[in-house]
Amino acid sequence: MATPAELRSSPSRSAVWILALLIGAPAAAGTLRVTVVDERGQPVERVAVYAVPSKPLAVTTGSRNALMDQAHSAFVPHVLIVQTGTSVLFPNNDVVSHHVYSFSEPKTFELGLYKGNAHPPVVFDRPGLVVLGCNIHDSMLGYVLVVDTPHFALTNPQGALALGDLAADDYEVHVWTERLRPGDMPAAKRIAVSADGAATLTLKLEGKLLPDHDRDLRTSSTLSWERY
Amino acid sequence: MGTVLTRAALAAAIASLATAAFAEDASDRNRFQLEIDASYVSADSPFDSWTEGGLGKLRFSESNDGLESTRVFAQYRGRIADTLSATVIADYQNDASSGIDVTEAYMDWRPIPKSANQQQVRFGAFYPPFSLENANLGWQSPFTYSYSAINTWLGEEIRPVGVEWSLRRHIGFAGSPNELRAFASAFYGNDPAGTLLFWRGWSMHDRQTRLNDKLPMPPHPIWDSTGAVVGYYDQSVEPVAETDHKPGAYAGVEWRYARRVLVQLARYENRADPYAYGGGQWGWDTEFTHLGVQASLPGELGLVAQWLKGDTYWVQGAGANGTLSPFASLVGDAFSSKFLLLTRLVHGSHRVSLRYDTFDMHREAGQPLGLEEDHGSAWTVAYRYEHSAHWSGGVEWLRIASGREPWEYFYGAPEDATETEVRVQLTYRLGVANR
Repeated sequence: MATPAELRSSPSRSAVWILALLIGAPAAAGTLRVTVVDERGQPVERVAVYAVPSKPLAVTTGSRNALMDQAHSAFVPHVLIVQTGTSVLFPNNDVVSHHVYSFSEPKTFELGLYKGNAHPPVVFDRPGLVVLGCNIHDSMLGYVLVVDTPHFALTNPQGALALGDLAADDYEVHVWTERLRPGDMPAAKRIAVSADGAATLTLKLEGKLLPDHDRDLRTSSTLSWERY
Repeated sequence: MGTVLTRAALAAAIASLATAAFAEDASDRNRFQLEIDASYVSADSPFDSWTEGGLGKLRFSESNDGLESTRVFAQYRGRIADTLSATVIADYQNDASSGIDVTEAYMDWRPIPKSANQQQVRFGAFYPPFSLENANLGWQSPFTYSYSAINTWLGEEIRPVGVEWSLRRHIGFAGSPNELRAFASAFYGNDPAGTLLFWRGWSMHDRQTRLNDKLPMPPHPIWDSTGAVVGYYDQSVEPVAETDHKPGAYAGVEWRYARRVLVQLARYENRADPYAYGGGQWGWDTEFTHLGVQASLPGELGLVAQWLKGDTYWVQGAGANGTLSPFASLVGDAFSSKFLLLTRLVHGSHRVSLRYDTFDMHREAGQPLGLEEDHGSAWTVAYRYEHSAHWSGGVEWLRIASGREPWEYFYGAPEDATETEVRVQLTYRLGVANR
């Protein structure tokens, strides 16, 4: 059984890996290192960063798959980033049933009350943010961020991430985090990556950060937030 | 001894039923949860407990000192459809008027949201969503064993049978930490609510009224023409009863900021006709405003506070047999209570809680105006330990100091009293703890 940390870090790596296999790994590839900090310069964890190349992506024929698990009445990972067209399986490994739904514009769907692997995967065929909920458990909140690039990752506890195997190109670097209001998200930044170089970028989140849902889930059990 | 055996047999029967249910249904469509609470209780009070028709605010009297099966209850939740479920909570209490009975029975419909508006409809007999303490299975409190004065009273006398609609939405954007919820209910029954509160005053315990319960009350004095008490007759109340075929209502709004702050403001009115007599009960026109706050504080401290203020209008001189005396008059009693609770969870399984309650009741309309019918305060300290999914236990100390002006005249009893209760509880739970 993968740990949440493994699940969180695996999609980007596997997506990059699959892509590398499909298009043939270039002999030399660039790396983009990104650090995300708040107004006070403190690192911010679990921020989604994705880099969109200026040249059109090679058309891929293989299928892309990802997993959004449910355990202890929470979505695991809390934020899943996938490339447009990815099939996402929503297994429920919890002891109780869940009823997963989203009314987000890029993907409206509903997986009727279930446990285990009762439903076929959901294909996320349009880019954008898909907010997940459970109709039984009001506090369950999860996100699928659908992006038009295979180059994406979430920042680690040091607020850092590295996107490897980048072809030499100009990239538009986007940021998304649930801890900023949609209007406060920093504008995309352009950066050039050379074939064998390592570009670095520090992104600052302006504005007051909203509560960290994951941390709140872990520390807010002192009180009861859901009633029977 | 016989009752102990009866209790044990009953517990075993429910346990085997529940076990069979687990074995048969892994799909989660039908769910049984069972809890058995046994306590060692020691009370110190000048009065007998109100549960025995006495004047005491505690659930137990000095004569009850010893082992008590405080509650055995089972919750059944069946999913009729993906968005529709039925919930029944039945319990057994050794000091209730009837053996096994139901505290709540309702249907819960949650249509799949098509927008940010998330709706829910409940239909049946249920608690209004006022209490910020009673969030555990079976409307129990995770903090202390005895509830605050406010929630004790809600558990005793507030049980509408009706329909409740609620609407929840995140404010601003999907996933926003700001969340608003509005709820409104129309209900039948609950017309005698306020009777027990007036006759006995505020109380603190964990005995919830079941739908068919007849609650004991201090006896009704009989006065002669000079105003001297010449005798008493027994009286009781059935809080769920309908007396006037007029619906009551409650409504409220709740704001949450993530899992950090919750504020609720609500209004309840049973809209009972105090001159209507039905099903052996008089209506008491009871209404109140309720404010509740809970917040996560630094240092993993949690704060819960509630404030309730209202009044009840009833007819003095309304006889137990439904007759009105020639001197019958409408009187009004104002009541209020508030509490502040601090709680801390240590290493996820040890919990320490401290609560301070104050309460008051006085005549606001009719004679004798301003009469202090009940006023006082209480301290509660509890330690609880979750040993496993099945076993937990803890200890609670509760002290209530109160004064009741009419009691010397009514009962020749002391006006001021301090009542203390120590309780050591062991709980056995069967079934998955989460919802």
